[in-house]
Amino acid sequence: MNAGILKAEGLCKSYKDKEVLHNLDLTIEPGKIYGLIGRNGAGKTTLLGILTAQNTKNSGSVTYNGQPVWENQRALNDICFSRELQATLFSGPNNLKVKHYLKSAAIYYPNWDMDYALRLLDEFKLETKKKISQLSKGQMSMVTILIALASRAPITILDEPAAGLDVVMRERFYQLLLEDFAQTNRTFIVSTHIIEEAASVFERVIILDEGRILENTDTEELIGQFRYVSGRDDVVDQVCNGLQVLSTHQMGRHKTVAVRGDMAKLEAAREADVDIAPMNLQNVFVSLCGHGDAQ
Amino acid sequence: MRGTLNDQSLIYLQIARMLEDDILRGVYREEEQVPSTNELARGYNINPATAAKGINLLVADGILYKRRGIGMFVSKGAGDTVKQKRKASFYDGYVKPLVKEGTSLALTGEEITAMIQQAIGEENET
Repeated sequence: MNAGILKAEGLCKSYKDKEVLHNLDLTIEPGKIYGLIGRNGAGKTTLLGILTAQNTKNSGSVTYNGQPVWENQRALNDICFSRELQATLFSGPNNLKVKHYLKSAAIYYPNWDMDYALRLLDEFKLETKKKISQLSKGQMSMVTILIALASRAPITILDEPAAGLDVVMRERFYQLLLEDFAQTNRTFIVSTHIIEEAASVFERVIILDEGRILENTDTEELIGQFRYVSGRDDVVDQVCNGLQVLSTHQMGRHKTVAVRGDMAKLEAAREADVDIAPMNLQNVFVSLCGHGDAQ
Repeated sequence: MRGTLNDQSLIYLQIARMLEDDILRGVYREEEQVPSTNELARGYNINPATAAKGINLLVADGILYKRRGIGMFVSKGAGDTVKQKRKASFYDGYVKPLVKEGTSLALTGEEITAMIQQAIGEENET
């Protein structure tokens, strides 16, 4: 099961007059786990929908191994986009049952692994006769996770799989994901708002901000480019000269800034009388996408 | 392999550091096998590529070596290599911050040296 390269070029998407994706390029390489993070309304679900030919685009192209994905059965056989389930469907309650979702997944995904699906069903304690509208938010997430994993699709995309799951279940989900990845080496794209506990799972992280890709970078490499520098304001300013300052926080003469720069400059800053602290992925995300909203 | 991950430094560096600690402690002896990339990934819930990066760092330093098709092993003399490596960063990592903190507290060089002598004395007693 070898995944190919999934590639978006010059992607633009508007809903009525509002452009939500702006001339966006993205390459998804095989055999990696990608994390997709972005604020509410950044365009994550729209992007994932277009990558998997479940949503239309205004311009640009999406290709899988060089072939357009739109109405291309061969490409779509390799791609699973497990969407968030909704309690309502066509403005009524979602009366489809869990077993209906499993049945259609078994038909739709050529690599569908029924044994694996049954094992997960058992572990998640999901009842196949239950209607989707009767499930809790967490149980709906479990159904989408189950379908994604058991699809065994070379490219598997999960949109907000952690939503509504308790912390034990979230940890279990990432365990299952890594176990399956170790066996199959398939490509995963996982979007989440619960960033920090997922950071160690992602080999690469894609940061989407207001319809633009800010980063598609090796996770640890990205985190390594950021630091907090704090100390007396004039010393901090001196140290940060030549570094990209992303945010500033001042209390009296004490100043803390979030900076981005190359390792050599950051190491040199250690000589000065300031405190230098590393960031985690969540800090990096807030620095890049906070736009001053958070105080 | 023991220890837990924190968010103070990059994960692959922590993985390398923990393996080094275990080599110094004799958890893994020379010519013994260390956990595989996938075992580390499972044990710490991290991406296998990150675990591999940590292991590769130790391979580059000659602390681990690869036996094709079997796994990663502790090199001969790995303990000494780890010690040499840590000695090289001891001055920057421990001595300089110690002196910096001492100086900012207006401790004199004699006072700092006396404290170090005292700590050495206590260490030798235990």
